[in-house]
Amino acid sequence: MPQNEHIELHRKRHGYRLDHHEKKRKKESREVHERSHKARKLIGLKAKLYHKQRHAEKIQMKKTIKMHEQRRTKQKSDDKTPEGAVPAYLLDREGQSRAKVLSNMIKQKRKEKAGKWEVPLPKVRAQGETEVLKVLRTGKRQKKAWKRMVTKVCFVGDGFTRKPPKYERFIRPMGLRFKKAHVTHPELKATFCLPILGVKKNPSSPLYTSLGVITKGTVVEVNVSELGLVTQGGKVIWGKYAQVTNNPENDGCINAVLLV
Amino acid sequence: SIIQNDRKTHITIETLSFFLCSFYLVFSLQEFIDITLSKTQRKTPTVVHKHYQIHRIRHFYMRKVKFTQQNYHDRLTQILTDFPKLDDIHPFYADLMNVLYDKDHYKLALGQINIAKNLIDNVAKDYVRLMKYGDSLYRCKQLKRAALGRMCTILKRQKSSLEYLEQVRQHLSRLPSIDPNTRTLLLCGYPNVGKSSFINKVTRADVDVQPYAFTTKSLFVGHMDYRYLRWQVVDTPGILDHPLEERNTIEMQAITALAHLRAAVLYVMDSSEQCGHTLQEQLMLFNSIRPLFANKPLIVVANKCDVKKISELSEENQKIFADLSADGIPVIETSTLTEEGVMQVKTEACDQLLAHRVNNKMKGKKVHDVLNRLHLAMPMKRDEKARPAFIPEGALLRRKAMEVDAPKRKLCIFLFLIPEVWEGHNIADYIDPSIMKKLEDLEKEEELKEAAGEYDSDEESEDEEMQEIRVLAKQIREKKYLMVVESKEKDVHGPRMPRTATKVERKKLEKEMGNLGLDMDNKDDVSRRSRSVTKKRKREASAPPTSKTRSQSASRPPRDQSGLRDAKMVKKTKKMMKNSQKGMNREARKGEADRHIFDLKPKHLLAGKRKSGTTDRR
Repeated sequence: MPQNEHIELHRKRHGYRLDHHEKKRKKESREVHERSHKARKLIGLKAKLYHKQRHAEKIQMKKTIKMHEQRRTKQKSDDKTPEGAVPAYLLDREGQSRAKVLSNMIKQKRKEKAGKWEVPLPKVRAQGETEVLKVLRTGKRQKKAWKRMVTKVCFVGDGFTRKPPKYERFIRPMGLRFKKAHVTHPELKATFCLPILGVKKNPSSPLYTSLGVITKGTVVEVNVSELGLVTQGGKVIWGKYAQVTNNPENDGCINAVLLV
Repeated sequence: SIIQNDRKTHITIETLSFFLCSFYLVFSLQEFIDITLSKTQRKTPTVVHKHYQIHRIRHFYMRKVKFTQQNYHDRLTQILTDFPKLDDIHPFYADLMNVLYDKDHYKLALGQINIAKNLIDNVAKDYVRLMKYGDSLYRCKQLKRAALGRMCTILKRQKSSLEYLEQVRQHLSRLPSIDPNTRTLLLCGYPNVGKSSFINKVTRADVDVQPYAFTTKSLFVGHMDYRYLRWQVVDTPGILDHPLEERNTIEMQAITALAHLRAAVLYVMDSSEQCGHTLQEQLMLFNSIRPLFANKPLIVVANKCDVKKISELSEENQKIFADLSADGIPVIETSTLTEEGVMQVKTEACDQLLAHRVNNKMKGKKVHDVLNRLHLAMPMKRDEKARPAFIPEGALLRRKAMEVDAPKRKLCIFLFLIPEVWEGHNIADYIDPSIMKKLEDLEKEEELKEAAGEYDSDEESEDEEMQEIRVLAKQIREKKYLMVVESKEKDVHGPRMPRTATKVERKKLEKEMGNLGLDMDNKDDVSRRSRSVTKKRKREASAPPTSKTRSQSASRPPRDQSGLRDAKMVKKTKKMMKNSQKGMNREARKGEADRHIFDLKPKHLLAGKRKSGTTDRR
C-alpha cells in the first residue's frame, strides 16, 4: 500500500467502526427515498434534465431485465425463411432476375435531356428577394437604394475579385463566404468535409445561382478526389454534385448529401 | 542540469511544490459539459424578446457563446498548467512519472487537451462572426445553439484523455515527497531481505512488513535525525535479477531511485537465505546493478544475522563477504529483529555520505565563495613565554566537589516496554548499562553539596539598608495582596466606577492615613486642608459668597433627580424615558427626525433572477 493512503492503512490495522456496516446499509436504502423525493419536487430546467437522464437510465434497466428474462424462459425459435425460398408447387420454375445493364453515361445523358434530376429534396421553400437580399442605402442623403447585400451563405470562386465598390450592386460579405461543405455519402453513411467547386443550381432563382447563394435545396458541385472514386474506364472522378440539406445561415455550416 | 543551477533552494521548492499543493480535479466528460452549460444558463441573462432591437438580440446571444468558450478555455488551460511538464521537473521525478504513467501517453493526452482548447476557441470566433449577420432572433438563436453544440462535440472526443489525466492526478498526489537533493539513504536488494524492517527500525515510517515477496510496491520515505541533521531514508521495492528491458513497473521504480538520487546505498543481503534466493544469486544481482552504485557511498548490510551469522556460513559464502570487504565496501552484520548492528549501519552510512558530500562540495566552484569569506585568526606568538588557560581557585574547588560529570537526562523507563523512539530521539543512543549507579552517585553528590552549604544564599553580603528594604518590600507585597482580595470580595454589580466618582468618607480617610503612619492629631489644622477651602476661609470680607458657593456645591442635586420628590418617582421617570426610547432604538433611529435609510437598494431584494418558486413576490 502506498505511503499516503492513510484511510486504507488505518482500516487495515484497526478495522472498521463498529457501526460502519449498519450505517452503510441504511444509507444505501435511504437513497431510494431521496431519489423519489427529488423526482417529485424538482421544478424547472433541472427537472427536465433530471427526468431525461432518469428516463434513459430506466430504459437501460428495462432492457437488461428483459435480457435476463429471455435467458430463463424458453421461446419458440422462428427460423426466417431464406431468400429466394419458394413454395413447393413453384419449384419447377426458374427465378428470373432481370438486371438491366446500361452504361452510366447513357443514363446521365437521358437525365440531362429531361432536365430533371433525382434529388433527395425535390421541393424546397422558395426564398423571396426581400429575404435573401437586404437593401443598402447609399448616397449623401441615404436615398439611393440600388445596392443589395446577400444575407445568406454564399460561395465565391477562387479567383474572385470584387468589382470597384462604387459599381458593385450585390455585396457578398466575407463573413458569409464558405468554401467547404460536410458531404454525406448516402450508401457509405459517412460524412466528409469537401471543398466546394461551384454552385450548380439554386432552386429559388437563377439570380441566386449566378451570385452563388447557397440555401436549402441548392445543388452544389464538390471536389470528391478525397473519396478516390474511379469510373469504369479507369478515370478518377474528382467532382460530383451534392444537395444542401440544412439552412446554412442558421447552422453556420453547409451539410449536403452526395448525389450518386 | 537543473541541479548545477545556483538557485538550488528555489529548484528544490519547485520540484516538490506540485506534490505539496493539491491541484484541481479533472472533471469527467459528462460533468464538465453539464457544469459549463448550466453555468452559462445561470450566469448570463436569460430573457430576450423578438421585438428588441437587433443589436441587443445579437449581443445577448454572442455573450452566451463567448461565455461558454471562456469557461471551457479557462478550465482546459488550468489542466494544462497544473500538470507538470516532464522537461521542467527534476529528472528523478520525470523518470518516475515515465515509469508509472508512460511519458508518451501522458504527453499525448495533454496534447489532445491543447488541441481541443484551440478548436473551441476557433469555433467561438467563427460563430460570433456569423452572428453579426443575424437579422432575426430565430437566426441568432440557432447560431448560438450550433456554436454550443459544436464546442461540446469537440470536448466529447477527449473523454478518454480526461479520464486518464484524472487518474494520473490522483496517483501523483499520493506519491511520497522525496527531496532529490538532500541527504538520502537508499535501501535496495532482493525482495524479502529486510529493507522495510530496517526503515521501520530507523525512522518513524510504518511500512508494511509481510512474509510474501513484493510487499512494498512503491517507494517509501522515512526521516531520521543524526548529528543534528535531517536524513531521508528511501525504501524501494525489491529488485529481481533480470535484464533492464524485462523489468516491470514496480522494479523500475527502484531502478529510477537508484539512478537519480545521489544517496548512500545500503545493499541489503539475507545471510540466512530465508528470502528464497541464495547468496550467490544475491551476489549476482549486486554485480549486475553495480554500475548504478558509481559515485555513491556503498555499504553491504548482511541482515537476519540472528538466524545465521557470517561466521556460521559455508566457506564460499564467507568468501563472498570477504571479497566485498576487500573491495573496500564495508560489510556490517545486522538483525532488524534484535536490532544489533542497525545503529552501526546507520552511523557508518551517514558518516560516509557526509564525507562524500563535503568532498564534492569542496571540489566544486561554489566552495571558494564561502572559503574566501572564512578566516580563522590565530594570535601570533610574541615571545616564547607559555600562556596557558587560567582557572580561578574557587572554580577549581567546586569542580572537585562535583566529581560526576553526567548531564541530567529525563529517563522514563517502563519496566518491560521501552519505546524505541521517543520524541524524535532514538532511546538506544542514550541508554547506559550503569545508569542506576550513576543516579545514586549523583544524588550523593547533591547531598554533599547541600551539606557543604553550596546552595545557601549569601546573606552576610547584604548590609542594613538592603535588609530594611527587603522588610519593607515584603510589607508592601502583603498589603497589595490584601487589597486585591478585598476588591474581589466587593462583588460590584454593573460598571466599575473610578475611585474619583464616589465620595470618600472622612472617617475612612482618617483611618487609612493613620494606618499608613501619617500623624492624624491635628486634623482640623489649617495647614492640612485643601487649598480652595483655606483660601476661602481667609477672605472674611466676602463671607456670603463663600457660604453660597459652599452650600450650592454641597447641596445641589444631580440633574436627573431635580424636580422629583422621592426615589419611587425617580424610578418611574427613568422607566418612562427608556420606554419612549425603545421604539427609536428598534428602528435604529436617533430620534423622530432621523429619516436616514442605510441601505436604499438592498441586494438580496433587487439582484438575481426570478427563479421558479419565487415568482409570487419580490
